[in-house]
Amino acid sequence: MTLPCGVRNYNYAEDMAIVRTKTHWALLIGFLILLFVAPLYLGNYWLGVTNLIGITLIAALGLNILVGYCGQLSIGHAGFIAVGAYTAAILTNRLELPFLAGLVCAGLVAGIIGIIFGLPSVRVKGFYLAITTIAAQFIIIWVINHWSLTGGFTGIKVPYAAIGGFEFRSEASQFYLIMVIAALCAFFAKNLARTRVGRAFIAVRDNDLAAEVMGINLLYYKLLAFFIGCFLAGIAGALLAHWIGYLNAEQFSLTESILYIGMIIIGGLGTTLGPILGVVFIRLLQQVLTVELVPFLEGTFTALPAGFATGVTPMLFGLVIVLFLVLEPRGLAHRWMLFKAAYRLWPFSY
Amino acid sequence: MKEKKALVITGLICLALVIIALPVFSACSGGGGDKTLKVGITTPSTGAAAEKGAPMGHANLDAIKYINEELGGVNGYPVEVVWLDNAYDASKVVTNVKKFMDDGCIMFATSSSKMMSASMEIANRAEFPGIASFNAPVLHRPPQHIYGQMTDYGDDWTAFTKYFMDNVWKGPGKPRMAMHLLNNTTGYGALDASKAAADDLGVEIIAVEEHTATTTSEMESMTRIKALNPDVLYISSTPAPTAVIVKNAFELGLYPGIAIGCGHASYTIAMVDIAGADIAQGVYGVFPTVNWGDDVPGMAKMTEYCQNLHPDDYGNMDYITSWAQSLIMAEILRVALDNVGYDVLAKGDVESWRAVETQGIQKLSGYDVGGLHGPVSYTTGDNRLSKSLRVFQVQSGQIVPLTDWIEAPLVKYEEFDWFGQ
Repeated sequence: MTLPCGVRNYNYAEDMAIVRTKTHWALLIGFLILLFVAPLYLGNYWLGVTNLIGITLIAALGLNILVGYCGQLSIGHAGFIAVGAYTAAILTNRLELPFLAGLVCAGLVAGIIGIIFGLPSVRVKGFYLAITTIAAQFIIIWVINHWSLTGGFTGIKVPYAAIGGFEFRSEASQFYLIMVIAALCAFFAKNLARTRVGRAFIAVRDNDLAAEVMGINLLYYKLLAFFIGCFLAGIAGALLAHWIGYLNAEQFSLTESILYIGMIIIGGLGTTLGPILGVVFIRLLQQVLTVELVPFLEGTFTALPAGFATGVTPMLFGLVIVLFLVLEPRGLAHRWMLFKAAYRLWPFSY
Repeated sequence: MKEKKALVITGLICLALVIIALPVFSACSGGGGDKTLKVGITTPSTGAAAEKGAPMGHANLDAIKYINEELGGVNGYPVEVVWLDNAYDASKVVTNVKKFMDDGCIMFATSSSKMMSASMEIANRAEFPGIASFNAPVLHRPPQHIYGQMTDYGDDWTAFTKYFMDNVWKGPGKPRMAMHLLNNTTGYGALDASKAAADDLGVEIIAVEEHTATTTSEMESMTRIKALNPDVLYISSTPAPTAVIVKNAFELGLYPGIAIGCGHASYTIAMVDIAGADIAQGVYGVFPTVNWGDDVPGMAKMTEYCQNLHPDDYGNMDYITSWAQSLIMAEILRVALDNVGYDVLAKGDVESWRAVETQGIQKLSGYDVGGLHGPVSYTTGDNRLSKSLRVFQVQSGQIVPLTDWIEAPLVKYEEFDWFGQ
């Protein structure tokens, strides 16, 4: 971690600290305070958007561990989220288990399914692994649609999340639940990268042959990456299920899987900050385009051909993603690092 | 050291002021001066169902424009529409409906059953009343706060099958029916009806195939169906996939030969255009509205607005559906205004929503929608506002009615074990 001028690490604890200086602590605490008083000033709609961002963040952190740290390309993440969502739905609706049991089981089941579909990663990588994960997406959705336990095409209802008799009915209460879990997942992801496991993932990503020669068990660590990535996807799915209240397999399309890849690329692969920035950027962009720009264009420029304004949304969305990939391929996290470095050195250019 | 302490204290004071001020700012930003009745409408104007969603969005807004400009609003109050595109994306429609609730809308409408199924639980939990123009059994059974503007996909199958048995089937025994279903509630609503009523109607279901909304070829599934020797094929889907299936049936020599029936989600001029008039010749379908050019009171004004504002949509039956939907919403607001007054509706909260539902929707009785579709009435325990539809057939590239209004009976799907919960 780069430190402000004059700040030194004098012991191991300081060297390993995620939040190092008092300024960092103050900013972090200030941000958390602002975040957790958000229900006071955000209406239900923006709280809903924030909840969606929180849920998406948990899934994106998992995908970042799998793709960004371990280098295993997965374009079936929405399928694993669906596994978690339906597991939680079945356990809480059909078996009437508590929410927390459903949450943990959702993560475990999604993780185990992730291991099964991650087995090909031992033999194939890159594009070929991506195809197997796309197959996972289609297989999972097909099973969901054709299994009576999941409600098939009709779908399944999901009760409110509840802990100790308290039901998370309001958007604000769901906000706190989702944000606490998202914060814990972000903390876990950040620390994972600094452990032996995280270093093994990075070694596998950078050169799996060299990693194997060094003594890293490729099978174990690749499958572990799938498990952890899909475990977090399962947690996100469970939260999504309780937030929406009704599940249908169409909510977990291939387009969603591709969107998740887009989020972590735009945010910055291989960093913990990257998924956070990528998720916030993409979800806010979706809302701004849909809710603000299109109605504005429809209402203001009435001479435009019918459907022009609505067509602008997918065009702009695609354009933004392409521009990012061309101009800032290392993502928003890299841009933030450059900004921090420039800020610390300003006004000196060296 | 002293400066640092001062900096920290200043920072804490600023943070505290921001936290205190934010709720005040957000409270000040809401509210307008005009007295309007706010409704939310979300349509899939982009995405996989845009060929239906775009004309439907146009029709909703054109009808609201007509209501405001020529009818002076509803009892003098203009109708303000919060319109959002959902791109046929389930996660978008969830946030759209939350925005409607936040913006003080007193009811909302969707076009597709998929979009309503994604958002219905949120609406039901909040008691926020919604109307789905395209309706599936799962949306309104058991009845809660979501209402179907028209008959559902199950009613389509029942009506077509009954017509087929009474007027088309001349063979002995039970006709063999194959079903080709869109892989969502649009398709499987028809399957639910077939499970409930096939035996009673004397039809044998020999095959159920499914397809996606973006399919470009169903030769494989149609080949499987052809091998089973069906007498009739029922397609419950949207226009583009239906056209693909009809073309594939034609290419395989299966059609003409068997009868093909379509649900109302696909039976529009768009389907005929995509399949080709010569290939679609003789295809049956059901639709819960009249056709363009029919001599009904509401046709002239709708035609005028369509040709002036969106001439490309002329001839599209989805336009009629959504135009009628806006008229029904206005009638609901009128009835609610008469019963509870503007002040209750203006609150835009759960009290308004309950008022709109119990004193508006549930007080509808015999509203004729300008003759554009069957009469709209609420019946206790049945959240379908209109229960009538007609059977049509494609003849020389035109969709021609074969029957008068047929009333679709209520089916309590929730009483069947297999019905999804």
